[in-house]
Amino acid sequence: MGTATGIIKALNSGIKHLAVKRFTLRYPEQKLKFVGDGYQFDPASGVAIAGLKGRHMLFHDHCTGCQLCSIACEGVAEAIAMVKVPDTWGHNKKAIMPQIDYGKCVFCGLCVDACPFYALYMSNDYELSSFTKEGLIYTPAQLQVKPQVQQDSELIIDKRGARHG
Amino acid sequence: MTEVIPTKQMPPGLQVENVDDRIMTLNVGPQHPGSGHMRIIVKIDGDYIVSADPDPGYVHRGEEKMAESRNYITNIPHLERPVIHDSCNILYPYVLGVEELVGIEVPERAKYVRVIAAELNRCIYIQYWLAIYGIFLGHSTMFMWPAGDRELLIDLMEKITGARVTHAYFIPGGVRNDVPSNFEDVCLRQVNYFEKRIKEYADIFYDNPILKARTEDTGVLSREDAIRLGTTGSVLRASGVDYDLRIKEPYDVYDELDVHTNVLKAGDSYARSKVPWLDMLESCNIIRQALEKMPKSGSVRTKLKPNPKGGEGEVYRRVESGRGSAGCHIISKSKPEPYRLKLSVSSFRNLIALPYLLKGEKLGNMPAVYWSLNYWPVEADR
Repeated sequence: MGTATGIIKALNSGIKHLAVKRFTLRYPEQKLKFVGDGYQFDPASGVAIAGLKGRHMLFHDHCTGCQLCSIACEGVAEAIAMVKVPDTWGHNKKAIMPQIDYGKCVFCGLCVDACPFYALYMSNDYELSSFTKEGLIYTPAQLQVKPQVQQDSELIIDKRGARHG
Repeated sequence: MTEVIPTKQMPPGLQVENVDDRIMTLNVGPQHPGSGHMRIIVKIDGDYIVSADPDPGYVHRGEEKMAESRNYITNIPHLERPVIHDSCNILYPYVLGVEELVGIEVPERAKYVRVIAAELNRCIYIQYWLAIYGIFLGHSTMFMWPAGDRELLIDLMEKITGARVTHAYFIPGGVRNDVPSNFEDVCLRQVNYFEKRIKEYADIFYDNPILKARTEDTGVLSREDAIRLGTTGSVLRASGVDYDLRIKEPYDVYDELDVHTNVLKAGDSYARSKVPWLDMLESCNIIRQALEKMPKSGSVRTKLKPNPKGGEGEVYRRVESGRGSAGCHIISKSKPEPYRLKLSVSSFRNLIALPYLLKGEKLGNMPAVYWSLNYWPVEADR
């Protein structure tokens, strides 16, 4: 193949893409949809359920304050600290629950795997930025809140290429 | 050439170099965008490189030492950090090794899921590498296209593992979670489209006469030198050596799949840049085969104690990663932590070839030769 033909072919390959739809996800307006409600673990079968590893969800009515999540995190990121909670539960005599520092968390999900009481899951919320370091520390009360996420964009593949819609 | 003059008056550690007027020493890196987190000390005579001395170690994190104080499970997020874009493949040898030490069987379905995840991750890594290779050569379209098409596979990995990079997905005994429902259809559709897209790179990049003029016959590594210097992976295969661990030492279910290697004979930068691209096309084939042969249901994880103890002994396992052979040597003394862990990574081995390849090259060709070695600075430093 001659040099001229090669260059024309390369240019042509680029020109053909003028007709292809834009692939970019316009992020703050569009958000990609994920499978399920986040990463969860089933201690009975020992296998997790696929989902996004985002911000944690803590279920106060299940947490016994056993500290297994904190122990699992010790070797990874040391992001989990057990703190006192004001309200008392029958199953949580010590009244301690995990507090997670998202400045340290690596979102590996090993704390979720460690929880034997279905108390700690991960949710689809990944927008955790904050102006202060203290804003990254989520108390048990904050972790209890179910995140409101608007994620509905999906990947569409057709003859005119792939795009998000 | 420069020569070191030993002087008695100087305190130890200080040396005086006798500098030639013609030779100039140039530090490429460690902050140069064209070097990554490493430095190449280049001595140039006009436009020609007299000698090149790679100086890695700027991103050393002590992963191996850290592994000695963490148990076999909490090591997982740490040991994938050296190559976050190829985290499944860098973790693969460790997981295989721990399985051998602890003595657990992996379910059949988990083996297939692992192969699919590893091949997807290989493509993700190579696309990232290719995007940087494109921008190194001033080809900005070749930066945009792979960086965009990579999203197709990142999206798939996100569906399986829940994270875009640093998946922490493999675990001794299988994988952490099963693939989501109707994953087979989604994966097949996206991988087919991805394959169609990467085939389009031929016209704009690989058959482009401008790229060929730039990379052909630069940094030629002969077959003998490639073997002698101990290079692995795409660098070795671009020099005409047919060596792929997926075929030579099949792990998991690679022996049940029809895997082909891509071997080019030239050994120049062009061949080294083309082999990973051919590998991606091969990966698409492997993923399709694995999706077809994968058992439709079944367990994906053998239950393991929370703090498993390895037996007495040592184990060395290696796999073919996106860059070449990635190995993991674990010595266990019947404790929950490894006694010693050593990562044997391909980036460091391929870097050894750099001084030989750059000698006599033009300085402008340095990025083309350097990045064609499929080198990842963080992996080399560990």
